[in-house]
Amino acid sequence: MLLNESDARALTEKILSFVTATDAAVSVGSDKLSHLRFAGNNFLTSGTRVGRSASITVWIDGKRGSSSTNDTDDESLKIMVEQAEKIARNSPIDREYLPTLGKHNYKPTSGYVESTANLSLAERAKNISDILAEMEKNKVIGAGFHSARVQAGGSATKNGNFEFERSTNVSLSVTSRTPDGQSSGYFLRSHYDIGKLDTKRIARESIRKALEGVNARTIDPGVYTVILEPQAVADLLGNLGFTFNARNADEGRSVYSAPGGKTRLGEKIFDERISIYSDPWHPELPGSQSAQGGLPAQKIHLVRNGLLENLVYTRFWAKQKEKQPTPGPVNTIFVASGPTSTIEDMIKSTTRGILVSRFWYIRGTDQRTASVTGLTRDGVWLIENGKIAYPVKNFRFNQSITQMLAPGNVEMIGASERVGGSEGGGSNASLLPALKLKAFNFTSQSEAV
Amino acid sequence: MTFSRREFLKTASIALGAATLPSWCYGAHAATTAFIDVNKDSLADAALATAKKLGASYADIRINRYRIQAVSTRERQVQSVASGQNFGFGVRVLVNGTWGFAASPLVTADEVQRVTTEAINIAKANSAFQRKKIELVPTPKVVTSWKSSFEKDPFDVPVEEKTQFLLKLNEGALAVKGVSFVSSSMAWVNEQKYLATSDGSRIEQYLIRGNPSFTVTAIDRSTNDFQSVNTPREGQAIGYEYMAKHDWNAEAVEAAEHAVMKLKAKSIEPGKYDLVLHPSHLFLTIHESVGHPTELDRALLWEANYAGTSFLTPEKTGKLQFGSKIVNFIADRTQPLGLATVGYDDESVPGQKWHLVKDGVFVDWQTTRDLAPLVGKKSSYGCLHADSWGSVPFPRMPNVSLEPAKENVTQDDLIAGVDNGILIKGRGSYSIDQQRYNFQFGGQTFWEIKRGKVVGMLRDVAYQSRTTDFWGACDGLGGPATYEVPGSFNDGKGEPGQSNAVSHGCPVARFRQINVLNTASTPAAGQMEDDH
Repeated sequence: MLLNESDARALTEKILSFVTATDAAVSVGSDKLSHLRFAGNNFLTSGTRVGRSASITVWIDGKRGSSSTNDTDDESLKIMVEQAEKIARNSPIDREYLPTLGKHNYKPTSGYVESTANLSLAERAKNISDILAEMEKNKVIGAGFHSARVQAGGSATKNGNFEFERSTNVSLSVTSRTPDGQSSGYFLRSHYDIGKLDTKRIARESIRKALEGVNARTIDPGVYTVILEPQAVADLLGNLGFTFNARNADEGRSVYSAPGGKTRLGEKIFDERISIYSDPWHPELPGSQSAQGGLPAQKIHLVRNGLLENLVYTRFWAKQKEKQPTPGPVNTIFVASGPTSTIEDMIKSTTRGILVSRFWYIRGTDQRTASVTGLTRDGVWLIENGKIAYPVKNFRFNQSITQMLAPGNVEMIGASERVGGSEGGGSNASLLPALKLKAFNFTSQSEAV
Repeated sequence: MTFSRREFLKTASIALGAATLPSWCYGAHAATTAFIDVNKDSLADAALATAKKLGASYADIRINRYRIQAVSTRERQVQSVASGQNFGFGVRVLVNGTWGFAASPLVTADEVQRVTTEAINIAKANSAFQRKKIELVPTPKVVTSWKSSFEKDPFDVPVEEKTQFLLKLNEGALAVKGVSFVSSSMAWVNEQKYLATSDGSRIEQYLIRGNPSFTVTAIDRSTNDFQSVNTPREGQAIGYEYMAKHDWNAEAVEAAEHAVMKLKAKSIEPGKYDLVLHPSHLFLTIHESVGHPTELDRALLWEANYAGTSFLTPEKTGKLQFGSKIVNFIADRTQPLGLATVGYDDESVPGQKWHLVKDGVFVDWQTTRDLAPLVGKKSSYGCLHADSWGSVPFPRMPNVSLEPAKENVTQDDLIAGVDNGILIKGRGSYSIDQQRYNFQFGGQTFWEIKRGKVVGMLRDVAYQSRTTDFWGACDGLGGPATYEVPGSFNDGKGEPGQSNAVSHGCPVARFRQINVLNTASTPAAGQMEDDH
């Protein structure tokens, strides 16, 4: 059922052949998801789902309508097109309409691996059982989730553009809890190549964190120096690359807006060692070959050496502002210029601070300052005199992201690694480093484990 | 865990398909939709027979069709009008005490055979390593159909009526001096569900729900400040009559006035305050601090790897003082307007109503057929739900609602008893820990209360508390006239993640001496006691 390039081309051409509208953009997709969930050292639910989809947006005299279907026989596709055209005829003029793209060339990315797409049920069951055995051996209670997904799809326009791409992703997250419920550890990693997903490391780290988190003490909330492991950074900053919206900044409703109708483009907002960019062809983190609006993706810097270098202009907003539309981002790569530090280096250099494994339930509190609240989870330790002193109970924090990464607050930066935010379960990975930050604002205590 | 409307609308473009529908579905939609006439009973018979032959002790098949129509606008333009439908089936089997599941959008006899066999193979592969067998409590066989309550099917309302409604609403808000932006949207969902189980049940259900909303933003470019106010209303299980039931235009104008006011409002001084919480705000606090911790799967560590566990554990049932004596929470899958209201759940258990917290004491759980036996129960409360034919059904929250006072207590009555406090309206920022102790909530508008009266607007307010402390501090409830049924359209849980719609009826309520913080003030670097 997974589409190949010729299937996708044939399907998009068929859909476009039904179109009577003046312009149209179509996309077709297919996927297979295979998953296994375990908890209480037991298999819980497990399944597969195959999916397919087709969608279209049409414009008739500048009026727009969209429709979608997961039934790809001719009659259903015709009805989908008719429905979109009916909606368009009955809609007001789309003031943001721009003609769909003509033929473009795309440079393929490399995020597809056949063995990920066709994982063995028996091998997966054995792998998870081995993890459960390790849990039992270490006297912890395990829960986790293994997920493998393959996606393939194409898109085309009435003006002659066509592109096809496919990708794979496999992830494993594992939680270990001590039987008394007083300590919990978590580890998550994902990859597009199942051969590069180190399931043993994931289980080992999860168990280690649970065992090293026992007898956590209560300490007062307050402003502390923190060392954030890459998972904690992913939970806070995993989507950072997708927040540089030019329109919001121009309209005055973004942390990148400046007084008097200006933006902060060109300002040194972040520590000068920080660069944030998107690269579709990064070997560890391949992105999509097409960026927003179907533009062929390119490598772009959003932040270079602390300077806000680019905001993201959609095709419409770029035209309004007489700029070029931005060919990205398609992923988030956060790197340090200059030497990087290990977490051990960071701990050694800290007189008093907090080591954080993971954050949870992060939500915005003030868009003007990019402030968020959330909690630590699954492993927090107090560092004293260059060593881990003891585990501590969880905290709630309230913190501005831009202030956190501002010049003067970033002390050390680690080597970036592939890691996804835990709320997304590893479906969207980024390349992110561990960070040592001078000040981080913990506002209250949480007794949750 | 709830998601924002924007996140939902971004992902809600679901695909089109068709089923053999109950007769009351056919007439309404035949003009616009292709119906592929599949014989559901025959497909179900084949799936269940195959599952049994291959060793399943229990099996079910769901053949479902989902439709959505979403319209979104900003200022004087329509951003998008999208219509989508999605059709397919999922087979769930229990083999050797181990679940297996497989699903496909190809609703044909051959595919049903293939998918059922795949579900069995998955269960068998895993059962070789299963430690503890899953068991189900029984439920009576049911053959019936059920339809949610609505007057005007939103899918029969022309698109232009919807876009005009939103554009008019935007125009009213934009007319308020100082308003810079307004966005508005409405999403309508229709679920057509068929369930057949190896217990002999055959159930068809037809559900409608809607989620209109708007956001008004005022900007002061001279100070680089901006403030927004959202709709005071939330999604409900209701038809298009929802749009005529309230004066949405007046509410948008009021929100616009409040957004402008908020730019100049007094920033809150952090400290302890008495809070009077309006239902448009309180429902989300109920959702996070009462709805989730009373989910039995969380307490039994099934969600430990994702959404989290619970501070409630089975031995606390009937003992733990959850709140003050006036606090009563009802789980209710029959509640009018409730987003989680159903005739039957996804394993044929009827919708029910029961106490979770009675007179302030935690007394019961949300259960499914595989959870119930783990706490010695003989039947399920019917909380199994899947958000798609392609998703594994698992425990989801029923409507969880706070009972109002029996007396006719008004919002003003509760405010009159406050010397120094804040009235909070609307859904703002929300965050709670993985065991549901520590939470922090913002709102849309905040009103300073001094000596029993509202005296002005505040901004930058969030309150932080601990669940049992917070509900223990509840000393006043509004009467039935203050009761509303707001809900969340997108409650996230599970792996793979699923979205559930759920409501939380509640009156206005008062809480004493709650910790309030200022969200605009974050200590700057350098304000630390110690450095490295």
